[in-house]
Amino acid sequence: MRRSACSTCGGGNLGRRDFLRVGSLSLLGLGLNHYLQASEALAAAGATGSGGQRKAEACILLWLEGGPSHVDTWDPKPNSNFKPIATNVDGIQVSELLPLTARHMDKIALVRSIQSKGVNHPQASYYTLTGHEHENAVKFPSFASIVTKELGPRNDLHPYMLVPMPWEDDFFDYQDGFMSAFIGSQYDPMVLPDPSKEEFNVPDLRLPKSITKEVIDHRRSFLQAVDEAFRAKEQLADFDKMDAASQRALSMLMSPAVKKAFDMSEESEQTKDAYGRTRVGQSALIARRLVEHGCRFVTASGWVDAQWDTHGDNDKRLRDNLAPQMDRSLAALLEDLDQRGLLETTVVLVMGEFGRTPDINPGGGRDHWPNCWSLAVAGGGIRGGQVIGASDEKGGEVADRLLSVGDVYATVYQALGIDHTKTYTNPIGRPVYIANNLEDKQGQPIPELL
Amino acid sequence: MVVLGQFADGLERDVTGRSAFGVSDSGLAAVDAEGLLRALADGEVEMSAVVGEQSAKTTVRVEGASERRPFSFQRDIGRILTRHGCNTSDCHGGVRGQGGFKLSLQTLIPRDDYKWIIEGGTFKVLTDEQDEPPQPRINREDPAQSPLLLKPTGKVAHGGGKRFEVGSGDYETILNWIKDGAPFGEEDGGSGALITRIEVFPEEVVLDRQGRWQLLVTAVFSDGRREDLTGEVRYASNNTVVADVTAGGVVEALRTGETSVMVRAAGHVASARIGVIAEPLAEYPPAPPPRNFIDEHTFAKMRKFNLAPAGLSSDEEFLRRVCLDVCGMLPPPGRVREFLADPDPDKRDKLIEDLLSSPQYNDFWIYRFGDLFRVAYTPQRQMDTTWSYFEWMRNAIIQNHPYDRIARERIAWEGTRGPLAHAYKIQLMRTPEAIAAEQTRVFHGIRIDCAKCHNHPFEAWTQDQYWGLAAFYSQLTVMSITTARFAGDGMLLDFPEGMGERSNGRTVTHPRTKESVRPAFLDGGLLTGAERENPRMRLAEWMTAPSNPYFAKAAVNRMWGWFFGRGIVDPVDDFRSSNPPTHPELLDALARDFVEHGYDIKHLIRTIVQSRTYQMSSSINATNRDDRINFSRAVPRRIESPVLLDAISDATGTPQPPVYHKVIGGGPAPVGTRVVQMIPDLLPSQFLDVFGRNNRHALPIPHEIGTVAQGLHMLAGDTFNERISREGGRSARLLESGADDQAVIEDLYLATLSRFPSDKERSVVGELIASGPSREESVQSLTWALICSREFGYNH
Repeated sequence: MRRSACSTCGGGNLGRRDFLRVGSLSLLGLGLNHYLQASEALAAAGATGSGGQRKAEACILLWLEGGPSHVDTWDPKPNSNFKPIATNVDGIQVSELLPLTARHMDKIALVRSIQSKGVNHPQASYYTLTGHEHENAVKFPSFASIVTKELGPRNDLHPYMLVPMPWEDDFFDYQDGFMSAFIGSQYDPMVLPDPSKEEFNVPDLRLPKSITKEVIDHRRSFLQAVDEAFRAKEQLADFDKMDAASQRALSMLMSPAVKKAFDMSEESEQTKDAYGRTRVGQSALIARRLVEHGCRFVTASGWVDAQWDTHGDNDKRLRDNLAPQMDRSLAALLEDLDQRGLLETTVVLVMGEFGRTPDINPGGGRDHWPNCWSLAVAGGGIRGGQVIGASDEKGGEVADRLLSVGDVYATVYQALGIDHTKTYTNPIGRPVYIANNLEDKQGQPIPELL
Repeated sequence: MVVLGQFADGLERDVTGRSAFGVSDSGLAAVDAEGLLRALADGEVEMSAVVGEQSAKTTVRVEGASERRPFSFQRDIGRILTRHGCNTSDCHGGVRGQGGFKLSLQTLIPRDDYKWIIEGGTFKVLTDEQDEPPQPRINREDPAQSPLLLKPTGKVAHGGGKRFEVGSGDYETILNWIKDGAPFGEEDGGSGALITRIEVFPEEVVLDRQGRWQLLVTAVFSDGRREDLTGEVRYASNNTVVADVTAGGVVEALRTGETSVMVRAAGHVASARIGVIAEPLAEYPPAPPPRNFIDEHTFAKMRKFNLAPAGLSSDEEFLRRVCLDVCGMLPPPGRVREFLADPDPDKRDKLIEDLLSSPQYNDFWIYRFGDLFRVAYTPQRQMDTTWSYFEWMRNAIIQNHPYDRIARERIAWEGTRGPLAHAYKIQLMRTPEAIAAEQTRVFHGIRIDCAKCHNHPFEAWTQDQYWGLAAFYSQLTVMSITTARFAGDGMLLDFPEGMGERSNGRTVTHPRTKESVRPAFLDGGLLTGAERENPRMRLAEWMTAPSNPYFAKAAVNRMWGWFFGRGIVDPVDDFRSSNPPTHPELLDALARDFVEHGYDIKHLIRTIVQSRTYQMSSSINATNRDDRINFSRAVPRRIESPVLLDAISDATGTPQPPVYHKVIGGGPAPVGTRVVQMIPDLLPSQFLDVFGRNNRHALPIPHEIGTVAQGLHMLAGDTFNERISREGGRSARLLESGADDQAVIEDLYLATLSRFPSDKERSVVGELIASGPSREESVQSLTWALICSREFGYNH
């Protein structure tokens, strides 16, 4: 009965579905060196645009599915039953539920005055992931897809991954928020299975043993013979695309680098423990691994069934389960990235689809609250150790500096060297801000963060 | 006046510019060198045009030459704003206007424009309140200092640049209007008649690559009067690579192709189709005999556009195509042999009847309409309502219910069972307005969604119309279900009689005016007293009435799209004035025929697949290689992924019952179950994930072709690897049967490509089989190649 106050939250007795979508990449057929050159060229272009000097190369979004209570985490208030604790930055306090993360506050910037739209999970998720309200007729690309498009791939690895499938029971109602909409399916995510599983294996990336290179060559000779007559007659535009895709698929299958990116056995037991041996922890770990091997954007979730949706039993669920997992995985990720010298080049963004009500409901829970909530951002040259904006006494409304996810996107774009003032034109000719604020205007970077 | 010449090469050309004009009585009318006729006095006058040795005459009657028209804001000011592009969607006609000045698109709503000009102010999506004090656009004290004149003449900075000169006719008109006190004038210009539509002559123009053509635009008034608007409208070509159009309405050909020229007058839009052809064929081949009315329309247009139709499809071609299109499956190899050998001249018609009455027809069309009507699992997983909706769909197809009945049931079903309870995805389609927009898209082919927040940016749909439509669904509400099993889940309900809600008059609220909205049909009609009892039923009746201008056309166009890969209006659910049909007469004729035959779906399918146009071969001739829109050859269409997966099972002889999702108990479906018999949403399948799954929760989008994931799945995935080697599968059976290589090749070709291999293929493939490491590997690899081939993956 934990969802008594939430009429739209799904029930939740489904298992997962494997779901893989890999788009064709824009630089088909080029080798790794070409990618790197192209990406350097892009970086140079970014440096001369309004994006300024680019430091960051990639972004990890830790997605807190269900909507975390801000007053019990980033924005401690008297109306929380958890005490504030000091962090390693003077004057910044967080909830006692986040002791490990508190030690990394110098790396983290908190934004405590976010307002968003959408009171129900699908609409709200869509809003925070795209910066636009959900419409049936007009779809907008996800922030992740935009970053992927603007930065381009770095190597053979698909540049945008989603691990594992969020909202997996009802993914159809949520997927739009993660997708590329009109900018092209090559900017859709490749969805990975749960990396904490012993049998973790990315579908279709391993050839059956019996299929050697020789067998593949033989098959391709047959294919050529079979297709010859049809190809001689028809010259459809899709054919070139299909040829390029199959060529690229073959090189991916043969590429040791691609295999390596997914090979969790290369991580030490100690590292796995540090992140937490859970879906959440291991998803954060593989996110680091994927960024290290060339991904541009990884959305790591691992929460099951809208876990942060604490309509009932808020405190117990936060204390026993939710906060410790998040605290551990986030702290481990920041430390790990830092030690590997990746923190300077990787933006880490932590948020859900909204905050939760300042008041506890009769069921001991907190309900959906888009009016004012907090998110955390670190790495990629973002200046940590500061708090932007403020909520009122109870964390119910914005007291200082109303900000939107569009403003946060604009900030991250700048960190990544992407011109945040860009617009895309959608299929009906409407210009769409890549950073869209609450009033459907251009989002503005938060200057203190850069 | 336009003068048309009929030329020996079969083309009609505009020869106005080469003509000399004259009138029989210069006291009644005068004609200038361009052929513009001005009335001087009442009477009848003959006008003549001479080009070289050819001449033509026409009679003109002049009436009311001395009357002066009373002023009308819409006509006299609106047309200036429209002609100079002030009120286009990328300028002041945009949703929020431009630079703080808002106009309605093409003077669609003159009352609003008048207010915005006289009082100032701008449009806000959710409120009528203004941020800043409104700034009037006219200056009554000093009319020449009005922003409405200073801006477009470039006297003060204007983002849109200079639109007209100080002292020009349009300048003087506006100046004098302001001097006269800037009246709104008569709504109808005082004549008692409103413009009901504008017409373009001709509606279809065929040009050679050097061609030019003057369009004529006429306003038709409600009293039947007509008025020349040629010089008063805004012209735009939809594809300026193919043809452009001058401000005066002269179309100029640029390169071979087809496009439309849009003509926008105050509040009205019309279009002309423009074809630019290469050299006319010296000898156009005799047209094949038409099988039915479809062919008469398509062949006439092909003739006009200089496209020679492809020949009749071969029996192999036809058999494979029609089986895939009508039943969603490949013909079994035995049926291919049988059909090819059958000498009966009526065998195609007989086959069509066999297919239409087959169980596979039912499965396939339940699947097709299931996509359209979103027969999907609910996230709430109330499986009984899902099944009850599925059963409704199934019943409708098996009993071949008339389409209008199906539509009425879908729109107006009541209660908690059948189509309604499940029909609307409550997570993403929970509001009356979202449902109304969906039904309008499905049954009228119109995307009205933009009008939710503002008047449609390109079309004549207003925000008021949108909300008027939404109000029909105001009785639907999301209710929490409180039984233990579904605790916390929501469900969409309407309130049947007796629950007291209906009489309470639940309504929707207009987002700007904050007033409650009364249900209003798209044509503005309101419900009368008694009809308010059950507004959705009245809506269903209105939407499906034979007199409804959208319903039948949207239905036949969607069906056409399924058989040709392209609608007569394309995309099939995007009817709008700026997206005109390629064959308007054919669309009308199909719609008429559909209505006359009681909206019989099978009749419509039969009519389409019997036509010579559908049965065209895919062969290419000198003229039709690039044709994608005139159906002059069968253009290969990608087979949709669920059908392709079934085809792989059939072709490889590895029937594989799909697996149910855990939510419906898990485990395999009964032996013999095909993918198209399933609800695709939760069907676990890597193949569908990679090749595209029919997402019944979102607006349909075409599945992406040629992705790396597809390449990976073909090389390393189960669907392609395991099927070709499975015990008991076609490859294994052929290997065990002792058949020789040629017999194996023949059988595999028939099973996959539904045709015999050519001699060349027999020999090349035969050599490849012999060259492999083992015969087993070779046969498997050939099977792999066939199911991965382009020819297999396309319907052609």
